[in-house]
Amino acid sequence: MSSDLDRQIEQLKKCEPLKESEVKALCLKAMEILVEESNVQRVDAPVTICGDIHGQFYDMKELFKVGGDCPKTNYLFLGDFVDRGFYSVETFLLLLALKVRYPDRITLIRGNHESRQITQVYGFYDECLRKYGSVNVWRYCTDIFDYLSLSALIENKIFSVHGGLSPAISTLDQIRTIDRKQEVPHDGAMCDLLWSDPEDIVDGWGLSPRGAGFLFGGSVVSSFNHANNIDYICRAHQLVMEGYKWMFNNQIVTVWSAPNYCYRCGNVAAILELDENLNKQFRVFDAAPQESRGTPAKKPAPDYFL
Amino acid sequence: MEVEVDEKELKAAGAELFSDGRRGLRIHGWEIETRNRSILNSSTHELWEKKLETCHMPEMIFGESCLVLKHVKSGTTIHFNAFDALIGWKKEALPPVEVPAAAQWKFRCKPSEQVILDYDYTFTTPYGGSETITLDADKHEGGEVSKETCNLHWEDCKEKIDVVALASKEPILFYDEVVLYEDELADNGVSLLTVKVRVMPSGWFLLLRFWLRVDGVLMRLRDTRMHCAFGDNVNPIILRESCWREATFQALAAKGYPSEAAAYNDPSIISQRLPVVMSKTQKLKVSSNM
Repeated sequence: MSSDLDRQIEQLKKCEPLKESEVKALCLKAMEILVEESNVQRVDAPVTICGDIHGQFYDMKELFKVGGDCPKTNYLFLGDFVDRGFYSVETFLLLLALKVRYPDRITLIRGNHESRQITQVYGFYDECLRKYGSVNVWRYCTDIFDYLSLSALIENKIFSVHGGLSPAISTLDQIRTIDRKQEVPHDGAMCDLLWSDPEDIVDGWGLSPRGAGFLFGGSVVSSFNHANNIDYICRAHQLVMEGYKWMFNNQIVTVWSAPNYCYRCGNVAAILELDENLNKQFRVFDAAPQESRGTPAKKPAPDYFL
Repeated sequence: MEVEVDEKELKAAGAELFSDGRRGLRIHGWEIETRNRSILNSSTHELWEKKLETCHMPEMIFGESCLVLKHVKSGTTIHFNAFDALIGWKKEALPPVEVPAAAQWKFRCKPSEQVILDYDYTFTTPYGGSETITLDADKHEGGEVSKETCNLHWEDCKEKIDVVALASKEPILFYDEVVLYEDELADNGVSLLTVKVRVMPSGWFLLLRFWLRVDGVLMRLRDTRMHCAFGDNVNPIILRESCWREATFQALAAKGYPSEAAAYNDPSIISQRLPVVMSKTQKLKVSSNM
């Protein structure tokens, strides 16, 4: 059984997707593991925290080069494995296979892109259709998304979530009571955890000009951290040119792990390594060199545009 | 990364690629250059916020990327950059567009201290390019004015860009695409400002495109095309066509078109479905006898 899985992991590490039947079996096994996890999954230190990946498979391999292989390194991924990049299928399946093989050495929590609706617009759906000729793999994967945990708590001191806080949530226990096994709703606590952003120019709560989506200021973070006796919040969700960014007097940090985002932004990426005493070290890394990628450089093909 | 061009074709057209590491070429008295650089880092981002007097800017600003077309003899320069485009956005200041979920959100119990932000998060801009005249010191008689800028005059005109001639497959001597800014609207669509250029033996042609899709709500396309036929190398004429299109998803659905966002990823495919809301043609007579 595990030798089969080991072979699949080796195959995925070469950026070769699994067969449809293998994906189905892998997802079933993953479901059994994920269903047991809490909405606030406990994670022990040392651990390495990673932000958005977005299907940039070869850049994730750089991440593992910098951070070390799983299971030797204990990992926490903060969601947004899929969409936008070219290899969402291979990226997500590799992480999922590692989860099934080493359930205690890798934690995957849900990002706002781990949703049926978003993946239909931003790439993962089309990629599954292109690579498998049917939407079955997309169905298996999006069904698994519903089981991913919503947040993690490292040594009771560091709260980790994809997006941010919610006005409906003031304690971790309130998160624990959410029924998470569903598509990400358009509003409510679960939606906020995956979608909201910290914002300098508001102190309390702000509403986006889109009419949906919360922004939270420094005082919201202070009260949350104080009420839950945590040191700081670690989240992802927003592109940061330098790979990570502290806000509100080091009460919240954004970690971004997709270098040269969308293959054109030129940003660096970062992961946050915490040792057994929770000492922090950010490891900053660049995109994979062109020659290590499977495909040739994308140059603009001259086009007779009108 | 250079797109391969036939040396013979370049030579026959009297063109010469830059040999100093810059990307672009010299042709018929023009110097045409593109720069594709990284997005602004956090400190430059903040600096721009101060300069533009705003707290909100697109997530991805390619602040040092540009397309520059310089007519050497007259010093006339047409250029495209993110900063000037954002000045246009700031000035136009359209009211925010609500996403579909906003209707549900109105029923949520609001935290007491909530602030509702109010700015055009779509970064819609009327930008149609920038133009300056630069006089080099050695050419200027006084010798003191090394650089002078002024607004050139675009006059309305009846002529149209000759699309048929542009559709002919003459060789492309130089081609590039430059992204000026981009925002994902926090995964509610896309706002993208890009400029594409192609240079042929007969002239240069460019398309500056602002593309907006707010998922489930609306699409907006603002195109600016410029064409300059090589002929009169001393006093060339540039034609500029602006065409703005816009449609709501609701209006498209009513016409029987698909209403899901995924069907609208490529503006060049669906542009004809969007009704024109503004269109005009102008020309600029470049003069070397100033």
